[in-house]
Amino acid sequence: MTALDNYVAPTSLEQAVVQLQELGEVTILAGGTDLMPQSHAGRVKFKRTLMNIRRIPELHGIVREGDEIRIGALTTITELMEHPLVREHLPLLVEAGDHFASAQIRNAGTVGGNICNASPAGDTLVPLMVLGAHVELASKPDDTLFRRSMPLPEFFVGPGKTRLAPAELLTAVRVPIPPKGFVARFHKFGTRPALDISAISIGVGGVLKNGVFTDVRVAFGAVAPTPVCGCAAQEVLEGKRLDAATIAAAAAAARDEVHPISDVRASAWYRKEMIHNMTKRILEDVSANH
Amino acid sequence: MPEAIQKDSLIGKRITKLDAPEKAGGKTRYIHDIDLPGQLHGKILRSTRIHALIKRIDTAAAKALPGVHAVITAADVPYQRPIGVAKDHFPLKTDRVRSLRDEIAAVAAETEAIAEAALKLIKVEYEDLPVLSDPNDSLKPGAPLIHPEPHGATAKHDHLKQAQGIAYLGKPDNIAMVFDYQQGDVAQGERESDVVLEHTFHLHYVTHCCMGVSGIIAEFDSSGNLLMNSNTQVPFLHKREFAEILNMDPARIRIIQPPIGGGFGSKLDIYPFEPITVFLAKATGRPVKLVFTREEEFLASPTRQPVILTLRSGCRKDGTLTFRTVSTLHDNGAYTSWGATTPFVMMQTISSLYRVPHCLYHTKAVYTNNPYAGSFRGYGNLQATFAVEQHMDMMAAAIGMDPLAFRLKNAQDPGEVTPQGMHFKSCGFKECLTTAAEASGFQAKFKANEADKAKPGRFKRGVGMASMLHVGGGAKIYPSDGCGTILKMDDFGSVTLITGASEIGQGSETVLAQLVCEELGVPLSAVRVINNDTEITPWDVGVHASRTTFIAGNSAIGAAKKARGKILDAAAKMAGLDAADLDLRAGHIVEAKSGTVVMTLAKLLRQLHFSDKAELVMTSFYYEPPSKHQDKHFKGDVSAAYAWATQVVEVEVDTDTGIVRLLKVTGAHDVGRILNRLGLEGQIEGGIVMGQGYALTEELMVENGVVRNPGFRDYKLVTAPEIPEMDVRFIETMDGEGPQGAKGVGEAPAICIAAATANAIHNATGVRIMALPFTPEKVYRALHAARKEAA
Repeated sequence: MTALDNYVAPTSLEQAVVQLQELGEVTILAGGTDLMPQSHAGRVKFKRTLMNIRRIPELHGIVREGDEIRIGALTTITELMEHPLVREHLPLLVEAGDHFASAQIRNAGTVGGNICNASPAGDTLVPLMVLGAHVELASKPDDTLFRRSMPLPEFFVGPGKTRLAPAELLTAVRVPIPPKGFVARFHKFGTRPALDISAISIGVGGVLKNGVFTDVRVAFGAVAPTPVCGCAAQEVLEGKRLDAATIAAAAAAARDEVHPISDVRASAWYRKEMIHNMTKRILEDVSANH
Repeated sequence: MPEAIQKDSLIGKRITKLDAPEKAGGKTRYIHDIDLPGQLHGKILRSTRIHALIKRIDTAAAKALPGVHAVITAADVPYQRPIGVAKDHFPLKTDRVRSLRDEIAAVAAETEAIAEAALKLIKVEYEDLPVLSDPNDSLKPGAPLIHPEPHGATAKHDHLKQAQGIAYLGKPDNIAMVFDYQQGDVAQGERESDVVLEHTFHLHYVTHCCMGVSGIIAEFDSSGNLLMNSNTQVPFLHKREFAEILNMDPARIRIIQPPIGGGFGSKLDIYPFEPITVFLAKATGRPVKLVFTREEEFLASPTRQPVILTLRSGCRKDGTLTFRTVSTLHDNGAYTSWGATTPFVMMQTISSLYRVPHCLYHTKAVYTNNPYAGSFRGYGNLQATFAVEQHMDMMAAAIGMDPLAFRLKNAQDPGEVTPQGMHFKSCGFKECLTTAAEASGFQAKFKANEADKAKPGRFKRGVGMASMLHVGGGAKIYPSDGCGTILKMDDFGSVTLITGASEIGQGSETVLAQLVCEELGVPLSAVRVINNDTEITPWDVGVHASRTTFIAGNSAIGAAKKARGKILDAAAKMAGLDAADLDLRAGHIVEAKSGTVVMTLAKLLRQLHFSDKAELVMTSFYYEPPSKHQDKHFKGDVSAAYAWATQVVEVEVDTDTGIVRLLKVTGAHDVGRILNRLGLEGQIEGGIVMGQGYALTEELMVENGVVRNPGFRDYKLVTAPEIPEMDVRFIETMDGEGPQGAKGVGEAPAICIAAATANAIHNATGVRIMALPFTPEKVYRALHAARKEAA
């Protein structure tokens, strides 16, 4: 661990963004489930100031705002899984939470942290992309609090890298309430059923009406430096019936559009095979159950 | 006082381990929890090069760091001697590093953080040497030598080496150890065969993953006596070996073992960190504590022996085995520890699990720049069984015989003395085979799966069986395989059992206490076990080879019987009865026939105590099993008893992903006799899960000398949801030599799982995989290749 010069624990968003602007070099601590192991392993170096954002009320809570559900950055994975609004409107996130690390980690790890950690294998990222989520960012460059919003796919730059500006804080993620007929699936593929890091993950969502699949979103995790859109597969599926030929074509498109790496968890070849097989399996499941 | 007490026994009951409340309550003080006044913290600087000459080490900046008390390199300990099984390993490296784990320097400082910071200030200049990461390459002519002889040194220096007792003069080639064994004539066996198969099996690196990482606290007192708080499994052997390494009088070395957080064989050898910590204690005159980080544990503790094994075997059409020829290449790593000696156990499985008239066995352990292997639960037997039991299925298939029938035809019987010389006085092998097969419905499932495997469908079910033979009555590896016991009774009827046997979580304390209760008729709560201080406990060879229940158990029984005799004689005299008519029950002396109480045990003990003779009941006993050493051709009996087991594994293979799920393990274990049913079940279940990890998930990925996954994130232990349903049956053969008839079973349950899983995957899919572990990608690749071939 690195010795810290400074520790701050702001109690309001206002105070936090002011401090971010003033202090410059800041490491942000939310749940700590990524930060602490990464710093112990020497992969992340603490900056001069450690900011504990856990005392900021504005970052907590899940609320409905119009046609959106706003999930505060500090929402833990457990809170996410248990919240009635999420359970009613966004069951895909509950499913993803169920495959998220262990109970202890889910109790501490936050949605905002999972997003800002920007791991290509981050378990909430693919489902949030499938749901069309936006991130909400706040800063105070001058006298006024400045908020901006960004579609999630645009937020990611590379492993651990995002478009978050140095003096900016991720305050929430906004998820539009899916329309009627929306179906979605998330599949995290690891080599064991619990406590695993995805070798790959797949999310598929869209509106199924009279057997036709529209507004399709496909996303993949752990096959690129960031979670990515399965755009080719999406295009194959858009406006189609989920018959065997379409499913086969979508699965093949998915396999061909990803360019994963080989690492200790899987080879690139195997990842592509699994993208194919799991995409097929998910689509068959959607087709069979709707 | 009750009037009469009937006979009761703890044998075979479900007894909670004596240390369970402490451990479950988080109160056990492991080595991590111990801090001594004035203690410093030790840290080791390891090599950043795989194979290199050390040109220069600069410790000046590290030494200057405030809080640092000592920085040492090989130059500071010219008296250090090589350690390990082949004495080919200096704790602090002198002229070169041979693997990434190699120790270059060590620091003792006020805090761990300061020691860590000091390590970063040490500058090392290297000159890289070519890296050998494949044992086959190490054997090629002209291969660089891992342990070259120093300049000018030749074989004639042997006398010099002996005279000095210090120098390690290297090796003229990369061969660390060779084993050869022969029985009969394999050429004749091959001529008599109708079917001959030959395959090569690849066994990978795994490591013990003890929850408690390696650690030691060393301190010298003002008289120069060395006290070590150590996690060793072999305190008495270590006392002697440390004396040699440190050139000390062994009488000045004391080893105390705090509760050990897992051993599984990993703590059977001396590793560099131990003498290094002693050097630091010596240099600073302060207690020095050195505990590994988890990453260090992965990088610098031993592994299971990786093996490339080629097996050629044959049988007749009627199912009779004819011969086996085995050649193995052991990747020895950079230094020699117990892994190199696993052929000693492997050849037993090859020659004697089944009746095989002709056997030829050859092993070369070859130096590379990889991590080195130590001893690990099963000791080579998992590797040998993986090959032998797959070949059993393949030969059965080749002659169209049912795998169970084929095994039964060749299985050993009680009374058998094998060509290697092993004598199976008790042997429940055939009962293990039939019990496991019946309980699991093996034959019907095997046939049904065979028929189903060609049908379409993503999930395939398979069933596979494997059996094992392992020492269960100690193992004559060292000059003695004995254990001593001192038993002391106080004047309240409580027993202190002082045993040489170490507890490493296997439950020996509880079983030994039970055996004593059986003789002395006292409740379990009346027994305390002292087992962790070489200054107090009598000699024992150490905890290994599934020997503790058998050897230490017999020793404890011996001491308890002597105490019983003393007590009953005194009671008989006092009560005017015949000692033969008396018994000890529930803390009382009773008449054996009626149970009528004569007096309480406590009262008798006090009367003895206050008598003119001031008699105290204190006895000692030393037990040495009636096994012999093998001759130099490895012929002869090594153990007083042998354990047997058959395990049937049922799997589901997801052909879309290659994921193999273990659904159920049915085990039948010849345990001699059940002593503590709860402890035994725990031992078997834990062993099955360890075997499952070896088969399916665990792999220390070593690439070009680098461990790529030194952490639990990517070294995958089995997690709770993966653990299969288990149905474990016990076969009680009541071994004549065993304590109350019991045999050792510590290693047995881990041995068969990988082989049985391989057979089950074949039964499910028709694909046979001869390399471990069966990770999803490996299985998927094999299925994919088979599909392509078929298409």
